[in-house]
Amino acid sequence: MDNILLLPILVPAVSGILMLLIRKTRGIKEIATFFVATANLLIAVMLFRKELDFTLPWAGFGMEFSLRLYHFSSFILLATGFFGFLIALYCTTFMREKGALNQFYSYLLISIALVNGAVLSDNLVLMLFFWEGLLVTLFGMIFIGGKDSFRTATKAFIIVGISDLCMMVGIGITAHLAGTLTISKINLPVDALGSVAFVLLMIGAISKAGAMPFHSWIPDAAKDAPLPFMAFLPAALEKLLGIYFLARISLDMFKLDASSWLSPLLMIIGCITILLAVMMALIQKDYKKLLSYHAISQVGYMILGIGTCVPVGIVGGLFHMINHALYKCCLFLSGGSVEKQAGTTDLEKLGGLGIKMPVTFGCFIVAAASISGVPPFNGFFSKELIYDGALERGWIFYAMAVAGSFFTAASFLKLGHAAFLGKINDANKSVKEASWPMLIPMVMIASLCVLFGLYNALPLNNLIQPILGEHRLEGHNFSGMPTNAFLVIMTVLVLAAALLNHYLGFKKQGSGIKAVDHIHYAPVLHPIYDRAEKRFFDPFDIGMRVAGWAAKMIWYVDRVIDWLYDGFSVGMTYALSIGIRRAHTGNYSVYIIWSLVGLMVIIFLAVR
Amino acid sequence: MLPLFILVPLFCLILLNVPPKAIVKRPAFWLVAALPLVQVFLTAFHPVAVWDEIRNPFNSYFIFNLSVDALSTVLLLSIGIVVFIAALVGRYTLSGETQRFNFFNLLLVAFLGMNATVMVQDIFALYVFIEVTAVASFILIAMQKDKPALEGAFKYIILSVVATVLMLSSIALIVMAAGDTSFAAVSSAIRAYPASVLVKVAVNLFLCGLFIKAGIVPFHGWLPDAYSAAPSSVSVLLAGIITKVSGVYVLIRMVVTVFGIEQSPQAVLMFVGALSIVAGALAAIGQSDFKRMLAYSSVSQVGYIILGLGCGTPLALAGAVFHLFNHALFKTLLFVNAAAVQEKLGTVDMNKMSGLSVKMPVTGATSVVALLSTAGIPPLSGFWSKLIIAMALWQSGQYAYTIIAVLASVLTLAYFLSMQRRVFFGKLQEGLENLTEARLGLILPAIILAVVTVGVGLAFPIVLDKLILPVQNILK
Amino acid sequence: MAINFILVVALLLAALWTVMTARLIRSAFGLALTSAVLAILLFRLDSPMAAVFELSVCAGLIPVIFVTTISLTHRLSQDAFQIRQKERWGKYWYLLVIVVLVGVLLSRRALLPDVPLPVVTHPTDVRIVMWNMHHVDLLGQVAVILAGVFGVVILFKEVKK
Repeated sequence: MDNILLLPILVPAVSGILMLLIRKTRGIKEIATFFVATANLLIAVMLFRKELDFTLPWAGFGMEFSLRLYHFSSFILLATGFFGFLIALYCTTFMREKGALNQFYSYLLISIALVNGAVLSDNLVLMLFFWEGLLVTLFGMIFIGGKDSFRTATKAFIIVGISDLCMMVGIGITAHLAGTLTISKINLPVDALGSVAFVLLMIGAISKAGAMPFHSWIPDAAKDAPLPFMAFLPAALEKLLGIYFLARISLDMFKLDASSWLSPLLMIIGCITILLAVMMALIQKDYKKLLSYHAISQVGYMILGIGTCVPVGIVGGLFHMINHALYKCCLFLSGGSVEKQAGTTDLEKLGGLGIKMPVTFGCFIVAAASISGVPPFNGFFSKELIYDGALERGWIFYAMAVAGSFFTAASFLKLGHAAFLGKINDANKSVKEASWPMLIPMVMIASLCVLFGLYNALPLNNLIQPILGEHRLEGHNFSGMPTNAFLVIMTVLVLAAALLNHYLGFKKQGSGIKAVDHIHYAPVLHPIYDRAEKRFFDPFDIGMRVAGWAAKMIWYVDRVIDWLYDGFSVGMTYALSIGIRRAHTGNYSVYIIWSLVGLMVIIFLAVR
Repeated sequence: MLPLFILVPLFCLILLNVPPKAIVKRPAFWLVAALPLVQVFLTAFHPVAVWDEIRNPFNSYFIFNLSVDALSTVLLLSIGIVVFIAALVGRYTLSGETQRFNFFNLLLVAFLGMNATVMVQDIFALYVFIEVTAVASFILIAMQKDKPALEGAFKYIILSVVATVLMLSSIALIVMAAGDTSFAAVSSAIRAYPASVLVKVAVNLFLCGLFIKAGIVPFHGWLPDAYSAAPSSVSVLLAGIITKVSGVYVLIRMVVTVFGIEQSPQAVLMFVGALSIVAGALAAIGQSDFKRMLAYSSVSQVGYIILGLGCGTPLALAGAVFHLFNHALFKTLLFVNAAAVQEKLGTVDMNKMSGLSVKMPVTGATSVVALLSTAGIPPLSGFWSKLIIAMALWQSGQYAYTIIAVLASVLTLAYFLSMQRRVFFGKLQEGLENLTEARLGLILPAIILAVVTVGVGLAFPIVLDKLILPVQNILK
Repeated sequence: MAINFILVVALLLAALWTVMTARLIRSAFGLALTSAVLAILLFRLDSPMAAVFELSVCAGLIPVIFVTTISLTHRLSQDAFQIRQKERWGKYWYLLVIVVLVGVLLSRRALLPDVPLPVVTHPTDVRIVMWNMHHVDLLGQVAVILAGVFGVVILFKEVKK
């Protein structure tokens, strides 16, 4: 019983609620949020590598308020604290001129609390409680973004809500099968019902992480929501949480192994997510939107890695999770700097900012190299591990993953070229470097990207490999340089091909932004892209269209039901009511008669 | 100790009438308000069971043969609360010193009558004290001597006479079989001859008499007229406690302690209970008179109690008694609200009021509390008692009755919400711009009752544990 | 037995007449007659105490009070009486039905003999049971009397003014 475990939940939650009370005063909110985020980080550091349990009786029926801290959750806790701290620092300048600040900071802190709670919970229902709470802050944060954000917020709410509903059902089945709600006690085989439960829980996990087909709110949110939100929730925290839970269900709660049909399912979802999302990313003409598609695409790697069910792949997937959180956060923050300084994120209007904003550009290069898998940055190592695992399971998975890598590199070459190189736009002549509270987080993350790459034994040995435990690793150690030379050569070749592709495209079109247009307007791809841009393939919009037809059908059925409720039952009620009122004539003899008739009936029934 | 609950009010009654009127008229209120408060304090904070053991100093001269169990405790508490509230309302609504003084005197009579009713252990004594309460209420209803008041009182008297005849005939038959009128003797006699037609007729006659007293459909004809014609303070008293003691409590006592659950016509009880619930609620929907609507609502709510009683399981009984207690709270509160409205507007016609809560915020807010409690909305007290009754019904397999009980809750909500919309919400009625909140003497009881209603709802585990669940023991 | 039966029928007829007649004075006489028949019935059923009470109070005293009061009112004209009488039958015809129904119902089942009457343990009659063993009732009687006094004071005192 260690109530210290309540701190990472209560401190941000309480201060987040208090934050709503601060209305006018400028500056206080930022500083207060920063301090709370710092405190949260310190708590996470203090708790790191400890093993604690905390249990309170809660709702009964096995639903206990039980928290469990062990290496995996303390790792996620630390990462959450770290990102929370950086985002809070970043926001001190970035959010200054935006509206609804107290709400934003409140949601920010409450999100931290909820993520902490969800990670720490050792009870499925308790975890679901925190998990669903995140839905509310997600909605709120998108909602305060601007005038048009309501639609996006609703979309996100519905998509995530539906997948959470699946998860709720999954939790029900799991609890039924396991006979307990305590996560650490669940260890189920993936038989018929077990795999249904697994799939349902998986839907919840990967939709939180933003994999296809639960992704379509993320690009919309990138346009509408405040940018730190994007760096914070979809890029960092939700990935951490979603992949954390995916790892928990596939490693601990279910005995998932390579022979199960669930493993290929996960790998297929992973590969499709990688490819489709990166193809969409390739053609984007907006800094933030392009990044948001990558936020989806990269989840594919993690799912692929975990789905391989071989140690090297799982380690790669989890390593990729933390790497991705780092560089994607850094990329979004660089996008934020550009937006703040240049006033736009439209790539058509940007260009040549590299000289004006050298630090931002430097961080961007590091992060972009990481995401493209350029050695020796962190993304390279995690991707190599995933490739290794994928190749072990089948060359097709490997091929798709490598193809994804090609497009990733191509799109980042395009993005970097369009935003930071080339001719500077007239409107951007006076752009200056961003201020230090915005630069510090970027620089810190960028240096971590380098550190995790060059000295990958640090994260792998301390953070990732303990999650699998000795018995799964079977004595392997995946730190250091990749062992498979074929994979490394392939990666280098692919990167070189991407560079060549970009160069040729640039030569042909004459500008960085159009460097990939030959792919965009390729014979088969062009019409598909056009439709995709029109949201033709958006599962949400398809669902909404179907829902529209269904609604029309139901509308007619509903008229009948309505009449039953509004017409028939009300009419009946009033008719009866009027009848009864008429019966009460006020004549006492009538009342006596009623009584006597009642008496006679009762006596007759009694002596019958 | 127990006889003091009867002797002290009786003594006070004499005390008020011996000295010259001029001296006692003013302090009369304080005396009448203090007595029930003391009773509330004694019953709520002292284990009543202990009192039985304290020696009665009159024992050598009088054998009172009184006893208090968990059921009586709940009733003594309710009596204390409602009589106190009625005294407050009476002081601030009745005009004229003399009328107030008369009211307080009769209130004392009804008070001692009810106290005795819940403590006696003898069916004849029971009958006598029911009559004491009834006579006091006749006069209270007719007190203002206008036509509706006299009419209401007359109907009450006539129907009460029928009830009296039924109960007396029943007692006569029972004495024939048992040779005595004490609960114990009657109970053993009834259990000895389960198949006897005589006993069955006696039991059912008594039950029907009590149905009239409790105002259960189809024996309820007098009730709406009496409630709506009486002065506000008397309506509070009648609806809140008098019919509940002289009808419902006695019904529970007879069925549980005297007749025995297994001997009672459970099907009949449940049927008339459900009938009352539905018919009362339906009739309430069509009313435009505020007090009359509350009266029909009373019929409906008493139906729940009888339904729970008819179910007969310990849990259902506890639920029924809990609902009885809650009903005393929220129906009293609603009648206090009605008194406030009548006091300020001079009418109880709901078509002539709207938007009152702008001008009378406390009255509006407390009435919302009361109606939500009546309709059984969590976490107010009424929700818990209805929940217990519904649960008990379901457990004992009475699915149809459970559904009726739950659906009728919706009807309850319907008529109360329509009342709220008409009376308290919406646009202020023209010509009422100068309306003000009722005076403190009427707001205070409303606030007290609203607080108690919410408090009982929130602290319901404690109330249930200390007050209500012991009631199950009387089944043994 | 036959005499008792005839008496019961007479009792019912007298009671019906009391209720159905439109003239108050006839109604009062009807009440006296009913009580008198009832008294005879009680005598025949070995309840002389009850019979005496019934005869003296219900057949004697109360009709006297009624007649005294009625004599202070205006008498209905013959036409009005005719109309009222018709109305009354129209309104309360079902009383007759109920009386017959109750009679049939009761005659179908003999109420009495299915319970062995208890042996009276001590030689007391009803008076002792009612007065000596129910002290608490005395309080009730006192209260009822007090309430009655209040009723008279409240409801009738001011009428005199």
